[in-house]
Amino acid sequence: MTSISIENAVRTFGSVRAVDDVSIAIRDAEFFTLLGPSGCGKTTLLRMVAGFCDLESGRILFDAERIDTLPPHRRKTGMVFQNYAIFPHLRVGDNVAYGLRARNVPSAERAERIARALKLIQLQGYEDRWPHQLSGGQLQRVAIARAVVIEPSVLLLDEPLSNLDAKLRVEMRGEIRRLQKTLGITVIYVTHDQDEALSMSDRIAVMRAGRVEQLGEPAAIYGAPESPFVAKFVGATNLFEGVVTGRVGDQIDVAIAGGALRVHDARAQAGDRVEISVRPEAIRLLVAGEAAPAGWITLSGTLSGVEYLGAVTRLYVRMFEGAPPLQVAVASAPAGGGEISMAYDPARAVVWTKDR
Amino acid sequence: MRSLVRAPGFQAAIALTAAVFLSAFFLVPVLRVFRASVYDAAGTSLTLFNYPHVLSNRFFLDALANSLVIAAAAFVFTIVIGVPFAFCIARFPMPGKPLLLALAALPLVLPSFVSAYALVLMFGRAGLVTRELHAAGIPFGSIYGTPGIVVTYVLTLYPYVVLPTVAAFKSVDVSVEEVAQNLGASPMRTFVTVTLPIVLPSILAGALLVFIEAIENFGVPFVLAEDKPILAVETFKLFAGETAINPAAAGVLGMLLVACTAVALLIQRNILGRRYYATSARRAPPLLPVGPGLRLLASGYCWIVTAAALVPFVAVVIISFLQFNGPVLHYQFSLDNFAQLLGRSYRPLANTLMLAAAGAVLATLIGVPIGYLLARRRSRLTALLDIAATAPFAVAGTVLGIGLVLTYNSGPVILTGTWIIMVIAYAVRKLPFSVRSSAGILHQIDGNLEEASINLGVPPFVTFLRITVPLIVAGIVGGLVLSFVTIASELSSTIVLYSGPWTTMTVAMFQALEGTSAGEAAAAATILIVFTVLPVALVYRLLRRYELSTL
Repeated sequence: MTSISIENAVRTFGSVRAVDDVSIAIRDAEFFTLLGPSGCGKTTLLRMVAGFCDLESGRILFDAERIDTLPPHRRKTGMVFQNYAIFPHLRVGDNVAYGLRARNVPSAERAERIARALKLIQLQGYEDRWPHQLSGGQLQRVAIARAVVIEPSVLLLDEPLSNLDAKLRVEMRGEIRRLQKTLGITVIYVTHDQDEALSMSDRIAVMRAGRVEQLGEPAAIYGAPESPFVAKFVGATNLFEGVVTGRVGDQIDVAIAGGALRVHDARAQAGDRVEISVRPEAIRLLVAGEAAPAGWITLSGTLSGVEYLGAVTRLYVRMFEGAPPLQVAVASAPAGGGEISMAYDPARAVVWTKDR
Repeated sequence: MRSLVRAPGFQAAIALTAAVFLSAFFLVPVLRVFRASVYDAAGTSLTLFNYPHVLSNRFFLDALANSLVIAAAAFVFTIVIGVPFAFCIARFPMPGKPLLLALAALPLVLPSFVSAYALVLMFGRAGLVTRELHAAGIPFGSIYGTPGIVVTYVLTLYPYVVLPTVAAFKSVDVSVEEVAQNLGASPMRTFVTVTLPIVLPSILAGALLVFIEAIENFGVPFVLAEDKPILAVETFKLFAGETAINPAAAGVLGMLLVACTAVALLIQRNILGRRYYATSARRAPPLLPVGPGLRLLASGYCWIVTAAALVPFVAVVIISFLQFNGPVLHYQFSLDNFAQLLGRSYRPLANTLMLAAAGAVLATLIGVPIGYLLARRRSRLTALLDIAATAPFAVAGTVLGIGLVLTYNSGPVILTGTWIIMVIAYAVRKLPFSVRSSAGILHQIDGNLEEASINLGVPPFVTFLRITVPLIVAGIVGGLVLSFVTIASELSSTIVLYSGPWTTMTVAMFQALEGTSAGEAAAAATILIVFTVLPVALVYRLLRRYELSTL
């Protein structure tokens, strides 16, 4: 049962600040995800916790114990590597036993714990198989078993699913989450895949250029992004830049390139430069003659593209001269095309005021 | 892998060992040769006149020119012969490819001067074939001098071009060739504009190794040059010959040798450094669908080249079992040659086995840790180590031998005339191979494996023993055996360093050559062949082509 405090961690590679004064408090038994594009510092941060990357300044604590000064083999973390790192010269059973042997666990207990770990990942009876006889998904599970069998304080997963095919990836998501709940273990999970982060995590830290851009629960990250970067990186969105022209109650009018929008906002004043995000699913298509729901604002434009995605269809609507087409998520593409009218909920738009 | 290679003690120990070993037994000796080149003949006062003096001497200038012309010819002809060979192996359907490739690589471990000697036995002035030809009234020119030397180099060194080029042809991503054809290029045009440029660095890198070997080789010109001056031979004669010893001139020629090979090595490293685009094949190109005629032609070509390179060795073995009456050969089976050679003493054979084993072990013990550091950690220190450990390759064995003698024949440590100095010379000469091959093996082992082990609670050094060593041990043993067999047939530093009780098999063969006992020389050559082919055959499965091509 371990909580993790990362305090003011800094690491520079050459002239690049890979991790730039990051402080994160991870709760006991939490599934915590570091999410960000490649090069944002998420893997470096994870390797700092494992001990494979030194801190230039700052410190890391497990509960109250400082661990960043310990050598990596004494930190009691279990790490799962992106490429699994299964020892090719050892059988599955010996791979899982590896950490137990290092801890001098008596052989009877060892066998029992290996069997239990293999059962946990649904590979009972695979002890005597060689790694080269296993599929990618099975190797992945052996890597997880090998990490959890030592009952680590913290489980570290470095993009563990990125080498698997799409269907298996979704399956393993659920399996890893179930495992974490069963074991009640604290997890730090690194990924660049927003779907993985949103579906598995208790909380997410979105990272960018070595810093934490936003830290919060998945719903907050998606629904109330604190910056345009987060809005754009987590899910698809329509971003607009503009200048506030006036205020009507709790709504503001914003002049944008080629048109105007009205959105909910409490703070911005006339003259402020703002950025606005409207998610594709916050926009609804209106059938000819249909009225917009109360309080919604209507728009019209020309259909310029249709992308069939299976569960939803994404429409691209040319609305404003000179602006990128608006993305709208609908259940099915409208018949005909050409001029269409839409409505959006001004309360679901997110507004950021830029520095005055 | 972090902790082990970043542990200051571990790194420092490796760097220090390497630094002490290389300074004492490589850097200082080479500097001593340089020093000899800038002192007057008496060795008392500093002078710069040795260089103009030697370079204005027609004979020495010829030696330099001959060496360069011969090496350049070997460079060109190994490419001309090796590249089509490599292309056929990589892209044509052909039966028996693994065997063909194994046999084609064999000349790399066989002593090249044995091949030269076989040429003399068959085509020399009193050669078997020459006499038959003359008896039949067919005129036959001389093989001595440039033609014989170049032929020997091409036949024994062409695998240096073939092995990396086969790998390169196989590693061209098929999609880049498909793209070229999709864009309208004919297969021929695709080959010239896409495939060849991608493969070219590998070809040149291999051919430059040929160039270096041809410059520094001592035994082949010693057997075949006759009156033609050759740099490596003249350097030796000036230093340890029977007449006209001149250490200053030997120093100058030695430095010229070093300059030629060092420039070639620098170019070679530079080319290898830019070879990144040839190594990322995601899908290897398929075999070309050629007709039976072309397939037969390709097969025939490859087998003929391979056989031509091996025939001299086979001939020597056969001749060694025939009866000699003085220099005259009788076609009658006999063990007399072996009886005479070994009847005198078993010492040379025992010396060869003992010295080669000691040299190979020492090179491995020092080289593998350096290779490990190079593969797992990039820093300014390791870059320096890389250069220092590769440098011995650029120094001819003759020069290293002379330098070692100059350094250790007086002063606090006297090693000249001992077996120790020979073992040290062998270890220095094989160090680049040992470092390169172990770094190559380690590059293929994911560093995450070591991290995973440490993460599971196993301390770095124990991780090294439990994870790293089991994964690399086969490759290390293979490298050790290759070092052993190439040291066993080493001649250029041995000839400078050996003393009476430490006569090796190679020296015994040369003494027999210089006398008139052709039969004994053939017997010695056969013994050398057996002791190189046998160990290599035993560990062949442990070897990868990569190692052969970095010999």
